[in-house]
Amino acid sequence: MNRLFKGRFFLLIAVLLMVALIAACSSGEDNNDTDDATETSGTPSTDAEGEVSGDLEIQYFVGGYGDSWWKEVIADFQEEYPDINVIEHAGPNINDEMRSRWVSNDPPDVVYIDGAGSSETQMVEDGQLMNLTEWVEGIELEGGDKLVDSFIVQPGKFNGEIYSLPLVFDTWGTWYDRALFEEKGYDVPTDFDSFMSSMEEIKDGEGIEPFVTSGQHPYYFLRGMLYPAFGAAGGEELLADLITGAEGAWTSDVVLETMKKVENMQQEGMFDSGLGALNHTQSQMNFLLHENSFIPVGFWLPNEMANDIPEGFDFGFIPSPMQDEGEPFAIVPDLRPLAIAENAENPEAAKAFVEFAFTREYAMSFSEHTGAIMNITEVDLTENENVPGYLTEANAMINDPEQVQIYEKPHPMSADLETPIGNALMSLMLGNMTAEEFVEEAEKAAAEYRD
Amino acid sequence: MVQSKKQKYTFLAFCLVPTFIMFAIFTLYPLFSGLYYSFFDWSGSSQNKEFIGFDNYIKLFNDAIIPNTIIHDYFLVVTKVIGIMILAMFFAVALTQLKIKEAPFYRVVFFFPNIMSVVVIGILWTFIYNPSMGLVNSGLEFLGLGNLARPWLGSETWALPSLVLPSIWAGIGLFMLMLMGGISNVSKSYYEAAEMDGANQWQQFWKVTLPLVWPQIKISILYIVITTLNGSFVIVQVMTAGGPNNSTHVMGSYLYQQAFVQYNFGYGATIGVMILILSLITVLLMQFLMRRDKVEY
Repeated sequence: MNRLFKGRFFLLIAVLLMVALIAACSSGEDNNDTDDATETSGTPSTDAEGEVSGDLEIQYFVGGYGDSWWKEVIADFQEEYPDINVIEHAGPNINDEMRSRWVSNDPPDVVYIDGAGSSETQMVEDGQLMNLTEWVEGIELEGGDKLVDSFIVQPGKFNGEIYSLPLVFDTWGTWYDRALFEEKGYDVPTDFDSFMSSMEEIKDGEGIEPFVTSGQHPYYFLRGMLYPAFGAAGGEELLADLITGAEGAWTSDVVLETMKKVENMQQEGMFDSGLGALNHTQSQMNFLLHENSFIPVGFWLPNEMANDIPEGFDFGFIPSPMQDEGEPFAIVPDLRPLAIAENAENPEAAKAFVEFAFTREYAMSFSEHTGAIMNITEVDLTENENVPGYLTEANAMINDPEQVQIYEKPHPMSADLETPIGNALMSLMLGNMTAEEFVEEAEKAAAEYRD
Repeated sequence: MVQSKKQKYTFLAFCLVPTFIMFAIFTLYPLFSGLYYSFFDWSGSSQNKEFIGFDNYIKLFNDAIIPNTIIHDYFLVVTKVIGIMILAMFFAVALTQLKIKEAPFYRVVFFFPNIMSVVVIGILWTFIYNPSMGLVNSGLEFLGLGNLARPWLGSETWALPSLVLPSIWAGIGLFMLMLMGGISNVSKSYYEAAEMDGANQWQQFWKVTLPLVWPQIKISILYIVITTLNGSFVIVQVMTAGGPNNSTHVMGSYLYQQAFVQYNFGYGATIGVMILILSLITVLLMQFLMRRDKVEY
């Protein structure tokens, strides 16, 4: 036996080990080969008459908005372009499932960036998205209006360049059950003070802790309550400084004052004491079961929980009431963009699809299908019976600057900054940290992020 | 029959080479590529990566969350080893020595959690711990101990200890079966001899059963340690996702968060290397501490 490991066999094992090592250490360089291989197998092209044809791969996340709108658009697109074969990659975990395709430089052609595991900022930084700056100038809507002039919120820019087109206009706000409020005569909050007194009333009247959010995802509270609060207190400049982690922004007096409000909510027992462990669905379920009466989430709530809504429940939506008395509500839009991959195999078909999807007609049907708003102006929802009431109301409110101020953020906060801030925020909300300690922690996280 | 040397080598190669190739592809390759990526600044979602030498390792040593994740992991290791071994031993002895008629039934019942996915177990226990409608709090209130009720998984203090119970519950069955196998291999004559010498049940357990099933106990403990260090991630991810405020993060869940939520794949790989080294040291240490001469009567 001993000889076995001294002779040829040992050599064989050594060679295999070397092969494994070399394979492990060389994965970065050999990707060009796979590219060539896939290019020959696909059939991208513009055929003789200038018609687009070939395979078109579309990746879209399916979450609270469902997938019925996508199915409709894709079916219509297929009819309009019979030579294109649309391949859909969709589902609630699609971002993770498609990750290996992006890493190996074989991405789908069109991607809708939304949901867990996706980050527009990261994709732009990694050079994965096509620069659309020039191309978008030429796109027109059905009435002849230029698309770039018809966005409710303009596309995010990275060094002045556009890499994605904002498709969904969502905004976080605070939900309540209108039926319950009307029945018991509770006041719908109009600013922070009335918010506190309304919660006090509910606490006594219903015997519940009135406010819930997902503690497993502290950024729900950050985006849903604090962004509007910061917007109202310090405008877009403060919001931008906080999101980019500018020095001294988190320890500024305005931020401390806002965080004192949160501390106050905690001390008065407004937060659900179990929220620390709740995930997205559990927190929304708690809200529907009247375990709590306020929850900050986006427009997806009614659609996502459609099967669990108790009878008589009537969704009411207000921008999160964190502002001082006499100030208008604040809203910070949250956009979900559509983009084309830099290495799309069929860029012509991809462009055709993106252009096809951005119309006022589809914007209307988007609201019907999802209960949310597409990022296109001059879509009149008031006349449409299929659009839920809360949406037409919210839409009217958002368009009235007397009532609501819109504050745009430069881009989403990086997960590297959002995670530590979210963790400290959770500690504050559970009563294990003071507002002063929180701002120090957040400033520390921002300093680390800047490095 | 005499085998020629050539035949012998061909047979050995037939057995070893395919296994080794599999081992190289599925174990060595990921191991070395993990090590390789730990030297890069890489988001894990594109081809762009930059060689940064030992920067990730420097970051690891300066990361204030890392020491806590290690403590949390070893907290789970210690509590699981103690909890599972005591209960598994107790059930194994009870089901083999006490001549209970329903033993096969209990064997199935205790083993049942082992055939369930850890994810299912995690979700099940989140319902049990639910502060308003969960079994634990309503049970406490029913017993008049309502003041002990708390948001178990939502509390920075109680979340980690709350993860121990489902982990133990899920682990008992397998080790109970292993120990039962060991105990049933112990010859009846030893117990008869011990009884004749006047040893009671308790003394029989300490002097006969325990020394003779020591190999099984040792393997069980090692197995619990290794699976906890590498796999406690699942139960944490499902039940608390590392929160609130990192109070339940173990090394594995923190790796996941860094690599797949914060897009620091290179740093995630570095944490992976740390887990490997710590697991290795722990197992070697355990081997050393648990060495005992083989007992034969």
